[in-house]
Amino acid sequence: MPDPIHQFEVKRLVPLEFFGIDATFTNSALFMVAGVLLSFGLLMYFSRGRSLVPSRLQSVAESIYEFVAGMVRDSMGEQGMKFFPLIFTLFMFILTLNMLGMIPGFFTVTSQIWVTAALALLVFFTVIIIGFAKNGLGFLRLFVPEGVPIYVLPLVSLIEVISFFSRPLSHSLRLFANMLAGHITLKVFAGFIIMLLGAGGAAAAISPLPLLAVLGITALEFLVAFLQAYVFTMLTCMYLNDALHPGH
Amino acid sequence: MPDPDHGASPEKGQLSPEDIAEFKRRASELGTRIESVQAGKQAEIEEQQDRANRSRGMAYGLRMSSELVAAILVGGFMGYMLDTWLGTMPWLSLVFIMMGFAAGILNILRAFKRMQAEIEAQKDFHVGQSVPDDDKDR
Repeated sequence: MPDPIHQFEVKRLVPLEFFGIDATFTNSALFMVAGVLLSFGLLMYFSRGRSLVPSRLQSVAESIYEFVAGMVRDSMGEQGMKFFPLIFTLFMFILTLNMLGMIPGFFTVTSQIWVTAALALLVFFTVIIIGFAKNGLGFLRLFVPEGVPIYVLPLVSLIEVISFFSRPLSHSLRLFANMLAGHITLKVFAGFIIMLLGAGGAAAAISPLPLLAVLGITALEFLVAFLQAYVFTMLTCMYLNDALHPGH
Repeated sequence: MPDPDHGASPEKGQLSPEDIAEFKRRASELGTRIESVQAGKQAEIEEQQDRANRSRGMAYGLRMSSELVAAILVGGFMGYMLDTWLGTMPWLSLVFIMMGFAAGILNILRAFKRMQAEIEAQKDFHVGQSVPDDDKDR
């Protein structure tokens, strides 16, 4: 059976080292660069006409913009549009990488916990910095829910603090776990086909069954690839909203 | 018998009994055909929705479990760090794991509230099986 984990192996392509820091250009880095270039290039290409009445491709780019803008406005209001560049970049980056990962033989960058953790920490520190910059110490109100009696407040605050610090972890785990689990499932089911065909006889006769399953799972994975990009972006909006309005 | 030459025949607009019978037969046949196609389409739509809902359910399940696990891990880690710092080995870890559990439940409750709000915002976003009279409840 082919190893289902093999696809997540990070390979060193160009060894690099800056001031003792290992900055090797890996296949993961290659696909990140590809993802950035692809999302940037496609959006620029689609909207190159800049016509008032959009062409078919331009309306694709516009609908992506409208989709994210709607998400930002819904969760943070008009003032949240200040964070639009960050949120749109995150969404396009994750969506492109998820979709690139769906192409057979390609590397899925978002199935690496360090990549998703870096993205989640970026959001986490942005929330802390914006929170303190906007509200000063008032940002700490986030940990003091209203209407809680004073004698349980230390306990509740502690729970709120733990809840706050668990955010980057769950934020990164979710994207990572979804992509990892999906790709492993695909690989395992595809492996069944080969195993059944190799066994021959009656076993080979039922080999179309896992093939059908792979077909279904592939469709599902495309949905998950989009959904997880959406969920990651949505949560980013929620967390940034907490930075703007710390009182619950 | 329909006359192709309109107005020429004295029995214009009149149909022979055989024609009427044929007409009725074809009409009822068409009705059953439309019904069968619609039933097939309805089943297909329902199946599609069901599949989409199941994958959404999966996504929500992973979302909830990651909320809980993350909070317990963070709580345990904080307790462990405090323990190694203060030299009170298992006690603070134990307390913080319990606190982490509480924080995890809090996370789940909040995530669920958000999820509910999301569903209410988009009414045709069914989680679970759709019911035929769903639109009457709106």
